[in-house]
Amino acid sequence: MPRTTTLECPGCPPLRALTFDTLGLIKVVESREKQGGPKVVERWGDPDASKSVNAVSIIDRKSNPLVAVARKNGQIEILSPVTGISQATISNANDLDVQSEENSIIGLHLFAKQNLELDSRDYNLLTCTSKGNASIRSIEVPESATGSSSTNSSKTWNVCNSGNILCCKVDGNEKFALFGGKGVEVNIWDLDNCTKIWNAKSPAKNSLGIFTPTWFTSVSYLSKDDHRKFVAGTNNHQVRLYDISAQRRPVLSIDFRETPIKALAEDIDGNTIYLGNGSGDMASVDIRTGKMLGSFTGKCSGSIRSIVRHPDLPVVASCGLDGYLRLWDTNSRQLLSSVFLKQHVLHVLFDSNFIVEDTPKGADSLPSKEETIEEISDEEETIEEISDEEETIEEISDEEEIEAIPLKRKKSSRNKENVIVGSEKKKRVKESDKRKKTKGNDGNKKTTSKDKGSKLASKKKKKSSI
Amino acid sequence: MAIGGKRKRNNDSDGEDDSSRRRTRTEPEKEVKEPFRPSMIKNKEKRSEVHAKVKHQKKLEKRAKSKAREAAVQRAIELGEELPEKKVPRTIENTREVDETVCKPDDEELFAGNDADEFSSILNRQHNPKILITTCRFNSTRGPAFISELLTVIPNAHYFKRGTYDLKKIVEYANKQDFTSVVVVHTNRREPNALLVIGLPNGPTAHFKLTNLVLRKDIKNHGVPTSHQPELVLNNFTTRLGHRVGRMIQSLFPQNPEFKGRRVVTFHNQRDFIFFRHHRYIFETKEIKKIESKGKKDEDGKSEKVPDHKIIARLQECGPRFTLKLVSLQHGTFDSKGGEYEWVHKPEMDTSRRRFFL
Repeated sequence: MPRTTTLECPGCPPLRALTFDTLGLIKVVESREKQGGPKVVERWGDPDASKSVNAVSIIDRKSNPLVAVARKNGQIEILSPVTGISQATISNANDLDVQSEENSIIGLHLFAKQNLELDSRDYNLLTCTSKGNASIRSIEVPESATGSSSTNSSKTWNVCNSGNILCCKVDGNEKFALFGGKGVEVNIWDLDNCTKIWNAKSPAKNSLGIFTPTWFTSVSYLSKDDHRKFVAGTNNHQVRLYDISAQRRPVLSIDFRETPIKALAEDIDGNTIYLGNGSGDMASVDIRTGKMLGSFTGKCSGSIRSIVRHPDLPVVASCGLDGYLRLWDTNSRQLLSSVFLKQHVLHVLFDSNFIVEDTPKGADSLPSKEETIEEISDEEETIEEISDEEETIEEISDEEEIEAIPLKRKKSSRNKENVIVGSEKKKRVKESDKRKKTKGNDGNKKTTSKDKGSKLASKKKKKSSI
Repeated sequence: MAIGGKRKRNNDSDGEDDSSRRRTRTEPEKEVKEPFRPSMIKNKEKRSEVHAKVKHQKKLEKRAKSKAREAAVQRAIELGEELPEKKVPRTIENTREVDETVCKPDDEELFAGNDADEFSSILNRQHNPKILITTCRFNSTRGPAFISELLTVIPNAHYFKRGTYDLKKIVEYANKQDFTSVVVVHTNRREPNALLVIGLPNGPTAHFKLTNLVLRKDIKNHGVPTSHQPELVLNNFTTRLGHRVGRMIQSLFPQNPEFKGRRVVTFHNQRDFIFFRHHRYIFETKEIKKIESKGKKDEDGKSEKVPDHKIIARLQECGPRFTLKLVSLQHGTFDSKGGEYEWVHKPEMDTSRRRFFL
């Protein structure tokens, strides 16, 4: 009989994620407890290749959250992650620097903290193009959704003279920004004064005297409060830990597989990082020791472009060129679920303030979400926590039911894995094979029949001996 | 002493026998009886005899079944009833695992993606494809022969000696010369074993494993292709990945076939293997005898024969015959070190025989 096996996914906790793809579409993926797996709930925008998303940034807060999206044609769009209504658009054409294919925006950050007390609808926006033109501008988001916004560009400066900027990150306090790229060593800028405060030094030549050219593909701060420690991934499949207070060369560097590191994300605890590379391998590494904690295996075949850690739940999302959004458990490193999104997915973001209401029609009540949140925010939080706990319990019980028999074997093999880190991937594959075989009915039958046969044979032997 | 010892032994063995007998008596009641199979017989002669008998029996049954089926069809035709349903054999392909990546015909995003991808300018006939064919560093015997046949298959293809150039340099050169793709034939042990197709200027790079290469001269009754532009048949490229690979292959050929040439190039995907064939076809009108005249003897048949014309397509194979299997699809042009993959084949994906990616 045909075995139509589906991936055994334990299902994921209620969450909401936004994905951005090459056709400029923004797809909202939501998972609720009742629905089972996560699904694409909404799709914003029309497919248009020139609107391909280059960079995104989110202000993730309860009241009035905002998402900024930089597109390939030089447009920056600011919209609400709840309704998807565009609140402001800036076309970079009126800007001074020439917008071309080669000089597109690759870094974008929407400042959340600066305007809290002002109560104005002004937002500061940091943009950085691949040629190294960084600028902070303030945008006025008008009350009505329609109408173009006025921009008054405040500061512009040049991050680098040559090379291409590929990655840009702003730290948790939004005072410092990191830039790095092809031929550009990682450097940190003070955003208040627009001055460069630190510049990395390339590591020494290796034992063969070969110098590998600098090519940073991704950077990430280790923790929200500390701007001094950060990790950077290189095209040379290396992950480096830098500490500004210590030295200009990397404190630690780790090699990971054979293809370039394409995405990096930090955990909340500040010492675990998640990394994804060009051939679809994803792993978590304890950056204090540089040891790999384990890899995420789930038939991921395309380059990983973005990894995001959920701020509250133990969930990591990864997306990439294979067109899948995958949700993983951070602790067990198991695949929770995957959603096929058709195009190359370039970015993913979590909307952490998503709360599932118990009303039967969830989609209809979406716009009123903010109100409910404001009314009973405190209560909701506790409820959410409780529900989370319940869920985890349920998950565990489910897993036990499913995998009651091979549990022992699994544990023992896991212990082995911890000893031998390198060959764990193969072992896992084997394990899964074994499990499938034991689960499959025909396999069982075969083995039993063989046993019977052997028993019969033994009987005959005995008889003949008699 | 000795006698007593013997006796003891005998007693012991007796006891054992008893216990074993008891076991044999009790055990069959517990277990469900195994159906008889000839392979359970120990004696070879006997076994083969029984096996032959069983086989013959099965054959008879099968024949009887098919006869009954035919009779049922015949009767249905005579009575003018509906024909009994034809049974479809269960194959690996039609019991394939459910795949969500299969393209749907009404998918708006698919068409938008098609318009935006790297091949759209060629497939919309804005550009004519121009292909550069080269080899790996060392090649001999079958390699050049294969390339010369590829040159006849793909119109507007140009062979360049590899020399000692880096592939990246060749890609750069081809970009300058307005080539639309680069095809690299890899040879191992004097046998072509891999095909690398690079889309230009920034198209994807597909790496295929090449097996079962049969050159033209080794094909019986082969034809010699003309220089007309061939028609292209792409079969079974169903998933997103398959669609992309299909479009990539399509972009190697000009989009205005000359039907006068009656040349067809086929890429047939079956279970992730892409079979390449190159044919020339011809439509012939053929006289066929009527069914009534068939059963009778020749002399009677001649007198009653009514000539009936029917158009038949005949195929003549020409050109090489080979099989491709996708190993990886790389985003961007060839870059072995810093390359980013859209799809790589990984061993952990081979956990089911019924899972296909193209």
